[in-house]
Amino acid sequence: MTDDVMRFFAAWMLTHEAADEGLKAAVLRGEQGGAEGMTGGPDAFVDGLAAMVAEEKENLKRDLEARARGEEVSIEKQSDPALEDVRFEVAELRGRMDNIEALLESLVRKLGQ
Amino acid sequence: MASRESVIVRVVLKRLVAALPAAGFGLAPATRRRAAWARALRRAFEELGPAFIKLGQLISVRPDEFSDEFVAEMRSMQDAVPALPAEAIRRVIAAEFGAAPEELFASFDNEPLASASIAQVHRATLAMPYRPVWGDTLPAGADVVVKVVRPGAAESIRGDIVVARRLLTRIGATRVGRRVDPVALLDEFGTTVERELDLRTEGRYADRFLYDFRDDPKVVAPRIVWSRSTAKVLTMEFMRGWRLTDIEAAKAAGVDTFALAVHGATAFMRQVFVYGRYHADLHPANLFVTPDNTIAYLDFGIVGYLTPEERMNITQVMAALVYRDPDRALTYSAKLGVDVPADRIEPVRAGLGELLDGTTRADGTRDFAHFGLGFLKLLGEHGIKIPSGYGLLIKSLATVEGVARALYPEIDIVKTAQPFTTRILGRAMGDPARLNERMPLAVRAALRELVA
Repeated sequence: MTDDVMRFFAAWMLTHEAADEGLKAAVLRGEQGGAEGMTGGPDAFVDGLAAMVAEEKENLKRDLEARARGEEVSIEKQSDPALEDVRFEVAELRGRMDNIEALLESLVRKLGQ
Repeated sequence: MASRESVIVRVVLKRLVAALPAAGFGLAPATRRRAAWARALRRAFEELGPAFIKLGQLISVRPDEFSDEFVAEMRSMQDAVPALPAEAIRRVIAAEFGAAPEELFASFDNEPLASASIAQVHRATLAMPYRPVWGDTLPAGADVVVKVVRPGAAESIRGDIVVARRLLTRIGATRVGRRVDPVALLDEFGTTVERELDLRTEGRYADRFLYDFRDDPKVVAPRIVWSRSTAKVLTMEFMRGWRLTDIEAAKAAGVDTFALAVHGATAFMRQVFVYGRYHADLHPANLFVTPDNTIAYLDFGIVGYLTPEERMNITQVMAALVYRDPDRALTYSAKLGVDVPADRIEPVRAGLGELLDGTTRADGTRDFAHFGLGFLKLLGEHGIKIPSGYGLLIKSLATVEGVARALYPEIDIVKTAQPFTTRILGRAMGDPARLNERMPLAVRAALRELVA
């Protein structure tokens, strides 16, 4: 959902690429970034965000071109974060089991002593 | 217990009396006086042992609660205590596992690598391969470090906390800081140190850190060997490299310090702004630069946690710094619990504006420490209470800046933060709750534009 918002704005920017001079100027100001470009309070923040959406727009453009060539696009290659989290939870559980096993072995050793 | 109480009182009084000449017998200027008392207390804490050394470390991260002199003095606290004989450490391992170190490891080095108030660290090698929670399997013969809680450390710390609590309750009204409640501070300390005494907490955080940074080959942490770990023993991968205090040697070996400085700083921001859990005890000894140009985070004893809401508000405060926006800083600090009374808003806002404008160094880079610590001081001067955790986070960010600048003096940490804060806030636009709250206003603004 959250990434989609950036993509949504990127798509909007892509379709308005030739038309919106004001937005292009904002992107330019945002890209200049440095100490000088960051002095304008809330407006500078919007410029920074516009530059970031422009970056996302370039990614979207590349993805669309790749898809037209029949290639897999970057957004489709990303693994599902929920699945990754489950992988980690399982691995963490395995670590805990290793730890419990070690504690049980210690207990057995101590009882045997 | 009563004898320990008298030892504590005696040591503190002895140090304070010894500091009388430096304090001009109470007639010296306030700054000099405070510095002398702070130095005396730091020496007393070092003499009183683990509990007080840890308490000093906690004070050193609370510039919101204590005077500058006290915080600076506690920062210089030495947590390097004489090493215990290997036999004492071997006994802890044997008691935990029911086996001698030689039965658990292929080799165990009796010479300690480091010795601090809570734990002592020894080198060893794995007897058999181990598949960690995250990352590649550690092969048999792999170098590891074994961190062992010093015998009696936990009991002595817990005992000292009980005694100190009794003393502080009795003293009650004594002011040791600006607005500090000593008993509350001690309770907070008790919670932190309890977590640190169970080494498994540290191990679990290291695992989580490795997972969080799985897509970043430039940031590493030691892999934990759970089959050789308990609450009092933590076995982890041995990291090769240079401490940041040894950075010249790393440069000589061809390490790209600029890339690592940027990467180290962004890795920390990712912990704060993206995951909401961060290494809260960063100092040059806890960061390694490795020969293959990676940055290794070590020692996850103190970890800060943020709720998603706190994370978002902190990101907003950082965005305020990046884009020099005092109103944004005040709005979101208030959401973090920084309650500025109505009659103080204007002077605080003016002070904040001055701080934001004054954060540029001569070389053009922005000085986060100046802003962050200045902001805490500003709030303190206006008698505004700072919520627990806020000071710790600001101090951690200031430390990261110091660490990054040790690697590469020209780095601008505020500029490094720009993409993070902007992207995260950009993504937050899609949050359903936020959309629900802001959409009516956005639609009205759009309609205004359309009919204009």
